[in-house]
Amino acid sequence: MFQVIGGKSVQVTTAAAARLLAPRSSVLVEAVRGRKSRTDPKAKSKEGRIKVPPPVDPVEMVVLKERYTEYQLIMRALRLEFKEEVLRKKYEEETGSQAEERARQEAEEHRALMAWNDQENLRLLKIRMMRIQREEEEAERKKIEAVLKREQEHQEFIKEKEKEILQLQEDAKHFITMENLDQRIEEALDNPMNYNFAIDKEGRVVKQTVLK
Amino acid sequence: MPRYELALILKAMQRPETAATLRRTVETLMERGAVVRHLENLGERVLPYKITKHNERHSRGAYFLVDFYAAPDILPGLLNHLHRDVDVVRPTVLKKDDPVPSSNCCANYGKDLVYI
Repeated sequence: MFQVIGGKSVQVTTAAAARLLAPRSSVLVEAVRGRKSRTDPKAKSKEGRIKVPPPVDPVEMVVLKERYTEYQLIMRALRLEFKEEVLRKKYEEETGSQAEERARQEAEEHRALMAWNDQENLRLLKIRMMRIQREEEEAERKKIEAVLKREQEHQEFIKEKEKEILQLQEDAKHFITMENLDQRIEEALDNPMNYNFAIDKEGRVVKQTVLK
Repeated sequence: MPRYELALILKAMQRPETAATLRRTVETLMERGAVVRHLENLGERVLPYKITKHNERHSRGAYFLVDFYAAPDILPGLLNHLHRDVDVVRPTVLKKDDPVPSSNCCANYGKDLVYI
């Protein structure tokens, strides 16, 4: 029993021409023993069997042989023709007349695109530089502004504090000292103040309250 | 220096004695390094409740208000002194906040109302 290994046909790869022209068989087979090994005796039903090949008719054989040679010749020629065509096409593809022009055009395109790319880069560089410059100026200006503002605020703070100091100096004239202590006491005892008052939503003030 | 006010409740006395007590108090303050700004009299009134102090029960008192500038570390000593004073019924020292910027409300009657 023969065992079939492999598929129906080997795939043709377009890589090398040698593999293109290599003979290919449709079936890859191997001799394999069946159930019995080499030392087993023959079966009883098959002991006296003589294998006879199928009978051949000579006339038919001659005719067939002629036809077959013709057929195979034609087929082989066709196959070789096709193979050659394929090879030629491949060769022309790689080293034909068009190949140089195409290569040249490719190089041309490449150069043009690279030039365009460089242009774009330059343009963007300019834009970027301008933007950076503008931002730097902006930052500079902001910094100066901030410094100015801080300075101004400081000045205003100082002014406020000076005003407060002046106010305090004014008030200090009315403080109580040893000399006007008695006078102030007399004054205080003479003028009792009353902070109790009532007010409503319209703003009317009522000062009359129970004091004593 | 922070600004304090002393809400002082004195015994209901005659005028010379009250004056003497006030003078004593203010001199104590000034000895301890305070700067007295103003002295106000809130009148002699009935106390809200009877207060017992120095073995004496008071139902009327004279309210006085002293605002002064002082260092914070003299306050315990000052309060101690005032508690020991016989004529003083109740001394209270409060800190004075900065006056709020006057808005459209009734804040014109005394910028620092004292609730007694």
